[in-house]
Amino acid sequence: MEGTITIVQEGRFQLSDERGVSHQFVLGRTALAETEQLRPLQSRQARVRVKYTDALGLISLVAHRIELLDPEPLEPVGA
Amino acid sequence: MNVHPRARDYPQSSLGEMIPDESELTAGVVIEPGKQYGFFTDTTVCIGCKACEVACKEWNNLPADNVGLTGHSYDNTGALSANTWRHVNFIEESSSKPLGGKSVRDNSQNAFQSGWLMMSDVCKHCHHAPCMEACPTGALFKTEFDTVVVQQDICNGCGYCVPACPFGVVEVSKADGKAHKCTLCYDRLKGGLEPACSKSCPTDSIQFGELSDLQARAKKRVAELHDRGVHTAYTYGAPDSPGATGDMQYLNAFFLLTDRPEAYNLPAAPTRPSNRIAPALTAGLATLAGLAVAAIALLAMPGEERRRGR
Amino acid sequence: MDDRVDTAPRDGYKGAPNRPLPQSDSFNDAHDPVRPVATSRNTDMPSKPGWSGPTYYGRSQLKAAPFDPWIVGGYIFLAGLSGASAVLSNLAELVRGEQACDVGRRGRYLSMLAPTIGSVLLIVDLHTPQRFYNMFRIAKRTSPMSIGTWILSSFIPFAGLGFLSQLGADLFKLGWLKKLARFGFAPAAVSGAGLSTYTASLLSATSTPYWAAQPKELAMRFAASSVASGAAALALGAKSDANRRTLETIGAAALAVELAATVMSHKTVKAKGVGESLKSDWGKTEEVMALGVGVLLPLGVYAATRLRGRKPTAANDLAALATLVGSAMLRVSTLGIGDDSASRPEVSLRFSQPENLPPVKPVRRVSRRRRG
Repeated sequence: MEGTITIVQEGRFQLSDERGVSHQFVLGRTALAETEQLRPLQSRQARVRVKYTDALGLISLVAHRIELLDPEPLEPVGA
Repeated sequence: MNVHPRARDYPQSSLGEMIPDESELTAGVVIEPGKQYGFFTDTTVCIGCKACEVACKEWNNLPADNVGLTGHSYDNTGALSANTWRHVNFIEESSSKPLGGKSVRDNSQNAFQSGWLMMSDVCKHCHHAPCMEACPTGALFKTEFDTVVVQQDICNGCGYCVPACPFGVVEVSKADGKAHKCTLCYDRLKGGLEPACSKSCPTDSIQFGELSDLQARAKKRVAELHDRGVHTAYTYGAPDSPGATGDMQYLNAFFLLTDRPEAYNLPAAPTRPSNRIAPALTAGLATLAGLAVAAIALLAMPGEERRRGR
Repeated sequence: MDDRVDTAPRDGYKGAPNRPLPQSDSFNDAHDPVRPVATSRNTDMPSKPGWSGPTYYGRSQLKAAPFDPWIVGGYIFLAGLSGASAVLSNLAELVRGEQACDVGRRGRYLSMLAPTIGSVLLIVDLHTPQRFYNMFRIAKRTSPMSIGTWILSSFIPFAGLGFLSQLGADLFKLGWLKKLARFGFAPAAVSGAGLSTYTASLLSATSTPYWAAQPKELAMRFAASSVASGAAALALGAKSDANRRTLETIGAAALAVELAATVMSHKTVKAKGVGESLKSDWGKTEEVMALGVGVLLPLGVYAATRLRGRKPTAANDLAALATLVGSAMLRVSTLGIGDDSASRPEVSLRFSQPENLPPVKPVRRVSRRRRG
């Protein structure tokens, strides 16, 4: 899924996709992205592509890999 | 209703920026690091609206986890969990066992809604927090506001804090493998805002403030309720009360209850688990020492085979 | 867990306080506890010592530990085995010297079980295993898990040194390697002692009723079981009959202590109102496997073989194996019973009552000024 990271709290973030629908994500345990790496993405309202699966028992999605789509020269975040 | 004089500086309905020290306007307290902050939850004015649950989920971006109806009165949330940090208890008093001598169907006004017991449960942010004392990685720590927070970038999900908590609050999330619990809106406190749940509570059942103020307020409220005939009112978690037993000292988030703690799913007399380490270690090492002495004695004893030189 | 919750329709509030609760400033009075209601409206809970007060819709009040009983129970067993083997094999070589060198050898090999398989088990049970190294960030004396991390860490270098030197000595037959194996391994006995019993404090320093009710008794059981399993494992391969007999006697002594500790443990647990959990499936497993197979069976076999002949037979091997199985099952079932006690509100609410509070230490009010 591609979209913009709009809210970040600890290891959880909200992604607004291209249609404007917001989805709640939890950073999965195999995603090597650390929680503090999410915050700068939120302050820049960065556009990312997220590889995810459904979370069991929760209305949420588990993010396994986050790729930056912005042309900013930063190393990609995630496994 | 007293309006803080500074509130008049912000008359517009949508603000472009944060109000500095907003908690002074909303909760009457300026938040400074180094002071003790907590919650006083007066369950006698709780109306069971669950605004606290919603505000908590909204602010902390928590996923919905208890989906479906439980059939337990209005409590469809169930319990505190890794993704639910505020949980409102609902207990319906049956009319055959009234509180304070009045039943639900009586026409005269009670001191408060006596047909219901409603309490907004939360992490107690204990003074001697068992979860923090148990954490082997140091992820759980006491903040500058005297609250207990799990650092998400350190926690490795060992789960030792989970059985340590005498109130069954903290839990390891299956989705991300780390422990989660109420942070007392640590990020809001750092920004001078009061926590989301206390800000959204319409009846001020959840009161946020400095601990000493809250404890004084609670004492006054208990006395007031006793005067009005509610003799079952008491504080849970204030110093020398139920909930603050067994070397727990006091809970930063304490309650005013009108029934026994077990009815609200709270332990009547929790204890501080780390006091059990010393007795366990000494008993174990003493047993080992005794058996070691016996072993030495048995090894030193010349058996027949040894005498024969086998 | 719903099979334990009765399906009869219930209102949320069961039972009623038969008197108003004590005032908050007079609560800390051990002689006036809040007692569970005697007139029970809960016809589904028959036994008196159990909880007859209200529960919150039968929901658990505590949260059970997220440890897998088999994985963590397996680690505790290996830790006890390795630690006790280290202690016993060092003592054997200390007292009997060369005569016990095969015991020392086996001890050094056995002591590698905890650092290798045990550590893997621990890391696997973490819910975010890739961050296992965070365990080494701090050393916290209020956290037995932190204490244990450091005990294990101090055990590993000496155990490793002993193991590698022993391996080298066995392969290359070098005398100095044998000496290095023996003396380099000796300090492992100190941390090995801690390793064989700290896990009881790990379990007791929680709010899980079954574990919190018996810190001392659980520690005694674990320590005795560790020594018994260490002695049994060392005895299984003992080359000389003399060493074997002595090790079996040590094992029997440890089993006798474990039996006594088990009796004390059950008594304490029942007195604190957690006895219901002993009747659960895990409780029955503990009785059959830990007590029956692990303690009574070997004790019986040892007694029988001593009375009859001198040579160790297959029965002795069986007894040693039974001790090992029982020791492992003791740890696994202790975890299982604990989880049961935490998830049942009638057990945990009955346990966290004022009458179970530890005695308050009297405050010494001696005035220092009077001493001049």
